[in-house]
Amino acid sequence: MNLYTKRLFVNRFNLFVSLLAMLFGLFWLAWILYTLVIAGFTALGPSLFLQMTPPPGSSGGLLNPIAGSLLMAAVGTLIGTPVGIMAGIYLAEFGSRGWLAPVTRFINDVLLSAPSIVIGLFIYEVYVVHTRHFSAWAGTMALALIVVPVVIRTTENMLRLVPDSLREAAAALGASQWKVITLVTVRAAKAGIVTGVLLAVARISGETAPLLFTALNNQFWSVDMNAPMANLPVVIFQFAMSPYDSWQHLAWAGALIITLGVLVLNILARVFFRNRTPTY
Amino acid sequence: MNAAVLQPAEQAVNQKIRVKGLDFYYGAFHALKDINLEIPERKVTAFIGPSGCGKSTLLRTFNRMYALYPNQEARGEILLDGENILAPSQDLNRLRAKVGMVFQKPTPFPMSIYDNIAFGVRLYETLPGREMDERVEWALRKAALWDEVKGKIKQSGTSLSGGQQQRLCIARAIAVRPEVLLLDEPASALDPISTGRIEELVHELKADYTIVIVTHNMQQAARVSDYTAYMYLGNLVEFGVTDEIFIKPKMKETEDYITGRFG
Amino acid sequence: MGSEHLSKQYDTDLETLRSGVLQMGGLVESQVRGAIDAFAHGNQDLIDRVIANEPKVNGCEVSIDNDCSHIIVKRQPAASDLRLIMAISKTVTDLERIGDEAEKIARMSRQIHERGHADIHRFATVRHAADIALSMLRQALDAFARLDAADAAAVIRQDVAIDTEFRSILRQLITFMMEDPRTISTALEIVWIAKAIERIGDHSKNIAEDVIYIVKGTDVRHTAVEVVEREATG
Repeated sequence: MNLYTKRLFVNRFNLFVSLLAMLFGLFWLAWILYTLVIAGFTALGPSLFLQMTPPPGSSGGLLNPIAGSLLMAAVGTLIGTPVGIMAGIYLAEFGSRGWLAPVTRFINDVLLSAPSIVIGLFIYEVYVVHTRHFSAWAGTMALALIVVPVVIRTTENMLRLVPDSLREAAAALGASQWKVITLVTVRAAKAGIVTGVLLAVARISGETAPLLFTALNNQFWSVDMNAPMANLPVVIFQFAMSPYDSWQHLAWAGALIITLGVLVLNILARVFFRNRTPTY
Repeated sequence: MNAAVLQPAEQAVNQKIRVKGLDFYYGAFHALKDINLEIPERKVTAFIGPSGCGKSTLLRTFNRMYALYPNQEARGEILLDGENILAPSQDLNRLRAKVGMVFQKPTPFPMSIYDNIAFGVRLYETLPGREMDERVEWALRKAALWDEVKGKIKQSGTSLSGGQQQRLCIARAIAVRPEVLLLDEPASALDPISTGRIEELVHELKADYTIVIVTHNMQQAARVSDYTAYMYLGNLVEFGVTDEIFIKPKMKETEDYITGRFG
Repeated sequence: MGSEHLSKQYDTDLETLRSGVLQMGGLVESQVRGAIDAFAHGNQDLIDRVIANEPKVNGCEVSIDNDCSHIIVKRQPAASDLRLIMAISKTVTDLERIGDEAEKIARMSRQIHERGHADIHRFATVRHAADIALSMLRQALDAFARLDAADAAAVIRQDVAIDTEFRSILRQLITFMMEDPRTISTALEIVWIAKAIERIGDHSKNIAEDVIYIVKGTDVRHTAVEVVEREATG
């Protein structure tokens, strides 16, 4: 066999093995989705979104956990995003001198990979214990603490991608540093920063552990932030472990909703970013 | 090394910028060594020299662009209209509004063409809508770009071609009505036709602005400038009227560089 | 001219150009010498050879000017290189004119010797002027080869001597013509020859001025000899 055919063969062989590996990974993903759909299918229907969680044995919906999850995710993002963006700006634009930036970055990396249950326990200790009751505020705080490191990391990275020549061009016109940052640099990195926020939201949508010790759960409809609030992950946890069929179906449906929601958010993030790729 | 500094013969020409005993350091590296130079007003002065000779470094001291970075330090005096711009009390932003700069790589901001031009103006002046429109049009006309973009002035600045983007950057720099324009290899990233347009532009602009241009293209320096400074390894080797430097330079080092010899 | 260019091809091109000029100079020098000898001795072969070589001189001028254009378009020469190219272009023009004058001398000589009754050794002054002209040409070409400005200045000074000689030749010829009208045709031809010699001196002076331009960068055309000498040695 001459050199060319040998190379062709090695090429094709490696391609084939990579393909197999990819299919292996996809297989599990497909099976998970399939299982979710089949198992939760029976519970899908308009009642899912219109009725509250039922007592054991009866049928109902997931209205209050869906509402609760949406509310806490929204507020958590609202609190965490500005903090994250400002810190990201500091690290990218002011972080070249001094010791504060490297230390902050390090701590941020630690927080980013901290187990979310640790964050939940932390909020429990400093807030829930003092107020003596579980509340949605506590849950929101825990979620915000998860959002912040993600947004800091992506904001800093996106800002670093903006070339110095753009900053110099703005400075050369006589713009002060803060104006350069807000009017030019952040604008240039806008698409990337928004993508980062979307990814952070996707991340917190599925977090269970922090909510266990903070927001706990609520069987009834409640939008009182000072009281425990229903949320999808904890409801799934509770219903899935129960012996009741209706509850188990609801748990599957809830898992399907979360999975689809995260999928949609990821796709949105990618499409949004691709449409506005920076041209610098 | 002592430079053979030729003072321009016409006494009627004002010295816009006077550099006295300038030393520049990148950390511990001594990049500019005891530079003494005078830039005449409303003329084009070119800085030429091989890579690493310090011409861009010198240019960037005129608007203190190096202040954006740590570990870069200038010592000595640079007098702009008699005031030392290296003094700690100098307002950097005001200085940069007076001394504009155009870079090698065209850098349009991620906003519309109109906003690009208006950006600098809005920093220091509040103009009513009508006047701002006029200023934008004036700057674009001066940069020989108006006819090409007048129909799409709200489109993004990044949608233009390379040569147009560079002229946009020039228009943006002119719009704030600076007194000095610093051009750091403005045409080196462009094709010959765009380069030719930029050179034409420089020729027209010098009636109103003092221009300093850094270029590694010697023929461009010969075409475009009235005065030329040759630099080597951080030293100013020779400064004089361009025609004289290119026909009969005083220093052997200058002659060697201009004729493409390195002894 | 100092150290070498970064481009070896550029150095080679310039060297080819310079040696082309020196070759043309050598050819023209031998033309002038041949023409003057032919005038003194009437050697028909020599006369024919000089006249036959004239197109070669013209060819040299065309080819060297062409090479100059090539270098300008390719290299955009500056400073000393620029002055060299400009000066070479002018020098070959002067050399070509010298060649023309040599051919004229040869033709005139043929006519004089065909007529027969010329007492050539009576025209020693003409021979003397011709020697000065020839030495000016040789010295100018030497100065070009060595790029020696002082030598070039010396050539310019000698031009005065030729003008003086020319005027005395004219006076001598007028005397001869008055003495014996039969010598008028010959005398007139000798006037043309003397004029040609004076022109050769002028062209050699031009070449010397070009050398000073190359070396010093100063254009010394139409300036007094004292100023030229100061420029050349200063």
